[in-house]
Amino acid sequence: MKIGFIGLGVMGRPMALHLQKAGHELFVWARRPESAAGLPATWCATPAELGRQCAVVFTVITSSADVEAVALGEDGLIAGLAPGSVLVDCSTIAPDAARRIAAKLGEKGIHLLDAPVSGGALGAIDATLAIMAGGEAAVLERVRPLLECLGKRIVHIGPNGAGQVAKACNQMIMVAAIQAVAEAMHLAMAAGVEAGKVKEALAGGSAASRVLEVMGERMVKGDYAAGIEARLHHKDFGLILEAARQSGVPVLLTAVVAQQLNALMAQGWGRDDTASLQRVLQLHC
Amino acid sequence: MNIAFLGLGIMGRPMALNLLKGGHIITVWARRAESMVPLLAAGAVASASPVAAARGQDLVISMVADAPDVAEVMRAVAQGAQPGLVVVDMSTIAPAAARKIGEELAAAGIDFLDAPVSGGEVGAIAGTLSIMAGGSEAAFARAKPAFACMGKNVVHVGASGAGQVTKAANQIVTGMGVLAVAEAFAFASKNGVDVGKVREALLGGFASSKILENHGQRMLDRNFKPGFKSWMHEKDLNIVMQTAHELGLCLPGSAATAQMFNAMVGSGLGEEDSIAVLKLLETLSGQA
Repeated sequence: MKIGFIGLGVMGRPMALHLQKAGHELFVWARRPESAAGLPATWCATPAELGRQCAVVFTVITSSADVEAVALGEDGLIAGLAPGSVLVDCSTIAPDAARRIAAKLGEKGIHLLDAPVSGGALGAIDATLAIMAGGEAAVLERVRPLLECLGKRIVHIGPNGAGQVAKACNQMIMVAAIQAVAEAMHLAMAAGVEAGKVKEALAGGSAASRVLEVMGERMVKGDYAAGIEARLHHKDFGLILEAARQSGVPVLLTAVVAQQLNALMAQGWGRDDTASLQRVLQLHC
Repeated sequence: MNIAFLGLGIMGRPMALNLLKGGHIITVWARRAESMVPLLAAGAVASASPVAAARGQDLVISMVADAPDVAEVMRAVAQGAQPGLVVVDMSTIAPAAARKIGEELAAAGIDFLDAPVSGGEVGAIAGTLSIMAGGSEAAFARAKPAFACMGKNVVHVGASGAGQVTKAANQIVTGMGVLAVAEAFAFASKNGVDVGKVREALLGGFASSKILENHGQRMLDRNFKPGFKSWMHEKDLNIVMQTAHELGLCLPGSAATAQMFNAMVGSGLGEEDSIAVLKLLETLSGQA
């Protein structure tokens, strides 16, 4: 099957390769053409040209505005995709942006699935991503075999936007957990206790989690090289706080963690791992 | 001076009336025509649109709800304005939005001031508002006689956007201040201590403030009528938090306070005064 793929970064590139290895023919476009180097794929001059050749297109892009531009802009996918085709947007964007894009594409008979993922670069490489989908159930079923090349857990959450709401919930829990682990590790170290031992003990009890395992390990080692760049979590928290505000829902812990992320950005650690929240705590003492 | 005044809500109406009292010639425009009635009765001239209102004026002042409204009104003003006009927006919007509007108007040869106010409806009626202005010296000098009719504490803070930065700082202090007083009162109350006596004692010390004095008294009276509606305070704190996000600025106290106001809007207290945060605290602590 001919599949379009736009956004070949840390997440997108391994995802595209999984689809190619499963026997699909890849058509790609990227804002920076060099990101497609070495990929067994056909280069397209514009998203519209890519859309003309594919019935299913994946996007993995950073911001709401960029997704809107690629989908709806001049020479965007909307100008190329045929009625009945499917855009699977795996980016993390605002739920209302996903709904807006779905409505515009819907006018041309094009389907959108908002299908953000969780699992990070490791999950993308191992094809073990969690995929949370918003859109029509029948459309999800059509592309499910493709999603099964990328992840293990694929859940239909609800209509368009619902996938992004689920992703927002995921980010709230995960980054708050990173902050909790950072505080625990910082406390242990400040008390003169070996943080690695604390982490080892905790991993066997009720505080055990994937965040403790992965991020805790980075903190113990002081290894802040990105897995997922902290600036992306910072971006997500801006979206989450705006969504909470629109719903009139208080998100107390999220709001405080967002401030720690602001401090992290101020230190110039946005391209490092979010484990750097530990370093923000170390600024205090 | 010939002054056009755009936007005649709770704040705009008394501000425009004070300009009339100061002897200025006032042309008014408002989205809802009926809100112009008290001004026309006092001698103002009605205008059909912001474009028409801006024609032939020395000064144009706007007082509307939010950044998109300001931008829309300013686009219209730019159509009606002659080069050299000074335009003053006294609404509360984001500093970045004010700077952008200032740049757009400068391109049309219009000098723009962001000059938000503090002091509420009471200050607007009494002509005792605090006015914090950002923009050029020349524009500030032109607007100064008008400011003198509306406010007492008028400060030219700095370049374009500086007025809105100051207002955002003001909302940080007042937002946390209201929450601090409400928490202190809830604390005293749950401890079985007379809250009125606590307020009286605190007014003599370092915790003394206008918020403790005025807002505290209204909390004691359980008078939650606005004043300053909590949804507007939430809007202003959102400006603070968005700006902090863009700048990489850590504001944990403001963040927690913004969430309390967010909860007020969500739980139907948005139209009440921001001191109704006391009710939210009482509900959470089983004191309601």
